[in-house]
Amino acid sequence: MNADKQISELVYQSCFMLDKLDFAGYLELCAPGFRYRIVAYSPELRKDMVWQEIDKEELKHHFELVPKHVRDKSSVARFPTLYSISYSEDGKRATAFSGLQVFKTRLDGGETKLFGVCRMHDVIELDTGRPRLLSREIRMETRQLGTGSQIPF
Amino acid sequence: MPRTSAEWGEGPKLPVTHYVDSRIYTEEEIHREEIEKIFNKVWLIACHESEIPDAFDYRTFLHPSGRSLIVMRGEDRTVRSFYNTCSHRGNTLLQEPAGNAKRITCVFHHWAYDAKGNCVNIPREDAGYGARLCKANVGLREVRTSLAYGGFVWVNIDDRGEPLADFIGSAFEDLEVELSHPMEVFHYHQAIVETNYKLWHDTNRELYHDYMHYHNRLTGLSQKGYFDRVYHTYPNGHVQLDSMEIQYQAYKGKQRSLSWPGATKACHKLIDIFPGTTFILRAPSVRVDTMTPLGANKLLIEFRGLGLKADTPEERAERLKEHNALWGPFGLNLHEDLLANEMQTRAMRDGVEPVYVLHAREENSTTHDEIGMRQYYAEWGRRMGRAPHDPFGKRIAAAA
Repeated sequence: MNADKQISELVYQSCFMLDKLDFAGYLELCAPGFRYRIVAYSPELRKDMVWQEIDKEELKHHFELVPKHVRDKSSVARFPTLYSISYSEDGKRATAFSGLQVFKTRLDGGETKLFGVCRMHDVIELDTGRPRLLSREIRMETRQLGTGSQIPF
Repeated sequence: MPRTSAEWGEGPKLPVTHYVDSRIYTEEEIHREEIEKIFNKVWLIACHESEIPDAFDYRTFLHPSGRSLIVMRGEDRTVRSFYNTCSHRGNTLLQEPAGNAKRITCVFHHWAYDAKGNCVNIPREDAGYGARLCKANVGLREVRTSLAYGGFVWVNIDDRGEPLADFIGSAFEDLEVELSHPMEVFHYHQAIVETNYKLWHDTNRELYHDYMHYHNRLTGLSQKGYFDRVYHTYPNGHVQLDSMEIQYQAYKGKQRSLSWPGATKACHKLIDIFPGTTFILRAPSVRVDTMTPLGANKLLIEFRGLGLKADTPEERAERLKEHNALWGPFGLNLHEDLLANEMQTRAMRDGVEPVYVLHAREENSTTHDEIGMRQYYAEWGRRMGRAPHDPFGKRIAAAA
């Protein structure tokens, strides 16, 4: 399989893992030094805000806590669209830039609504046998998320 | 035992101060009256002064009346507020939620205003109006504005209402030291939720619902001193809860290192201001919730997270991280509260047989006592001229 296809599968798989609430599967796709960040520009504050910034250990802990908390059991589906892939000169890293649409389907009745729109910027390591996520930054377009989400996008 | 329809419809065998009729949460008639009798008469937070640090900086604010307001810092550093409405044809003046404008110019016909609300330009004024109308008489509608209690910008669209200091009284006495340090908003987000504003504020006024929060069960509810906290009530419907030390290590395996000046390391303090503002100090950050009801069953909540202006980048990052873990849009606790309120509204929304909602716990005003809500509804009834337990029954005298 060529690198573009592997990277593309990694991006789509990572979203699907979170849709399935397969947190262990998601973490499997992340390198040990993985960092996850959600940012949003606030026109109210006229600056960027960080809404989540955690490393792999902290994300693992967060995932462990999710089932212990009360949450909306509606299903969430992430639909990435991979715009571009580029490679470092030494070929050890790639960056993937995607759009991401997230939809929520209500458990009771099945109504689906757009939940959020964002951009996704991934850095991927390529020199350890299989591509893995080194970092993911979600840049939110949508800033009004209703009751919010305990599970990252 | 399950109850029959007749039994279900009977009021609880409790003092009438200890329950409310759910229609106060669901009826549009009540909502419209609340805007007129409560929100149009009280002081509300529009923004924080750190959002408009420089001369000519502005923020817009959607007042519950439906009016958009401009909050602007003048060249003289004074913060003033105006209706965001052109005196000419009623157009919205400023579209962006924040910015900097030496002149507020209406895009429609280029009437312009300065930061003191004076009209300073009417294109072809003499040709069109002659002596019949002059700039001096078409300034913006100014709104009473005060900067207080932690650098927040408070507004009141009622020109005849009491001063802010009289409205608040001594409700902030327990946070006076902590709020004396210059603060800065580092987090802002809005949530529009399908609920009534009072249900949201109820949640901020009682800690009995700590049973819902896994985090709070571990770090508070099961800890020494939790049940010793006492609610203190103040005139005009405000309430404050004594502080306690949160045992963060029970949840995260470690205690936090950063605190807040004037507060103990893991301090938690809570102040609720009638009709819907909440200040929470959960070291190391401060959270302030404000709200704009959009209908009986629709609510806009604005969430602000604050740190200190003097924060180092490392301190700010720590406050941010701790804030976001619980209270950000991707945090674990805030979602629980908002979800519970939507579920309440789903159960009692308009058209459904009303239920009686209990505020009846009495525990010597301590942590799980529901005195905060009883005091709220006493004030609500006074202002509305309606009995919360029987809102469509005999009217009671409303406050002037």
